[in-house]
Amino acid sequence: MGPARVRETVVAYAFLLPVCLGFLVFVFGPALAAVALSFFDYDILTPPRFAGWMNYVHFFHDPRLPQIYLNTVVYVIWYVLLTTVIGLALAVAANRAMHAVFRYLIRTVYFFPVLTSLASVSLVWQYLYSTDFGIINYYLGRLGIQTIPWLTSSRWAIFSIIFLGVWKNLGFNFILFIAGLQNIPRHLYEAAEIDGAARWASFRYITVPSLTPILFFTIVWGFINAFQVFDSPFILTTGGPGDASRTVVMYIYESGFRFFQMGYASTIALSLFIIVVVLTLIQFRLSRIWVFYQ
Amino acid sequence: MESGRSRMRLFDLALVGGLLLGGIVMMMPFAWMFSTSWRLAKDSFSLPPQWLPTTWRIENYQEVFASIPFVAFVFNSLKVAALITLGQLVTCSMAAYAFARLRFPGRDWLFLLFLSQLMVPQQVTIIPVFILIRMMGLLDTHAALIIPGIFSAFGTFLLRQFFLTIPTELEDAARVDGAGYLRTFVQIILPLAGPGLSTLAIFTFNFYWNEFFRPLLFISTWEQMTLPLGLTVMRGYLGVGNVAAIMAGVSMGVLPVLLVFLLAQRYLIEGITLTGIKG
Repeated sequence: MGPARVRETVVAYAFLLPVCLGFLVFVFGPALAAVALSFFDYDILTPPRFAGWMNYVHFFHDPRLPQIYLNTVVYVIWYVLLTTVIGLALAVAANRAMHAVFRYLIRTVYFFPVLTSLASVSLVWQYLYSTDFGIINYYLGRLGIQTIPWLTSSRWAIFSIIFLGVWKNLGFNFILFIAGLQNIPRHLYEAAEIDGAARWASFRYITVPSLTPILFFTIVWGFINAFQVFDSPFILTTGGPGDASRTVVMYIYESGFRFFQMGYASTIALSLFIIVVVLTLIQFRLSRIWVFYQ
Repeated sequence: MESGRSRMRLFDLALVGGLLLGGIVMMMPFAWMFSTSWRLAKDSFSLPPQWLPTTWRIENYQEVFASIPFVAFVFNSLKVAALITLGQLVTCSMAAYAFARLRFPGRDWLFLLFLSQLMVPQQVTIIPVFILIRMMGLLDTHAALIIPGIFSAFGTFLLRQFFLTIPTELEDAARVDGAGYLRTFVQIILPLAGPGLSTLAIFTFNFYWNEFFRPLLFISTWEQMTLPLGLTVMRGYLGVGNVAAIMAGVSMGVLPVLLVFLLAQRYLIEGITLTGIKG
């Protein structure tokens, strides 16, 4: 390397130094520490004791975990499905010619919940979900639907968390899909029209393929985020009734910071990490089949 | 042909109507929150629901200030979110400059490592980070929230994407004039990157203004709490009985978000588009 290249390299690493140092101390170091910690018994107050595979044995025999993982997976699937499908449908509907005021209004009201704090809106939704006095059951009753014990029945508790999540983050996908729709070159549709293609055909063969990169992004991003759901069950249901709406991250929190089993909490956290990484890699692999890059 | 066109118009009208109706449903929780915050607590659950405030009871708002250190919560949230934002702007823009403009061995490999970090859920590292913060004696301080927050893979990625869209002519001219890397970065890139920096600033500020999980773990005393945590604790403190005061508190927490949103909608939407589409 010539002196200019050496200088450029040194400068580059100097610019990268702060962020790399931060990652080392607060991300990569702790990630390795979490692996180590999963082989220890540690309650924070007394020194850690080596536990071998005990935490892992416990992990595979923990009678509560299947239910908790199932809740989380149910949340993830419904959350990703609903935010994607509804977000896409809304974007396609909103992408038609309309008055600028309506355009602004619609974009604003669907996107606004995205910016609010999940913890704070959970406080509001807790009352909306109230069985006898909540407005959700009131309007469902007007439609002839029976009273639903949203937060207190083991059947509905996880769905009350799903619906809150979908309401809150729908706008994120909506905005992305709108941007994506506006990126599709007009001439593609014009050509299809000349060829006499039906509306459905041009949606199926032009709109959907053009949107696949964004669909891929929203699905991957939705998965990663949904697996980490914590604030809403923590505030709405505290995981109940029983374990009916407890999520993996709530269980990590409780194991670590209520029962002070830092080692076991790390084991659960690692399982979550492995699942998220594997699923993400599978999605990247599958994307070669269904995502079209122009 | 004529009737076909008018049917199209009708279809469009129905679509806009449907979207607006859906928009009203989206806003209902906020309407209920706001109108309830101005009522007597005992009227909070009156059915059928009243969407607009029927009374203007300022007492509910006064109770928020009387029962919890609300001003301190707002101040703490502002401080934590602002300092993290400032820190991220500095560290991320430096790293983004290196990735977008400089050639060095290991660049692509390092960038991939940065991106892979977006897959690591925060909860995987939170226990060792908690132990680290505790060892440093930083529990129940704002530093516990701020210091780990000022480095961001997402921020680096966003700014790199933005820097790549800036034409290089000005930099080349500056280099010919003998400007070094640091001067090029500070005097040319940063001024041109205004919109990108604004986008990152708004995202980061919003994220940490709303953050709940880390404050719940790291902060334990009233005086240090940030707003979302403080409001949640207030619920336990006032009991479920006083819905009106809780809604008054939440309303005051949402208001600044609404203001920022109305002022900065363009940057937010550009930022989302930049990460989601061009990424």
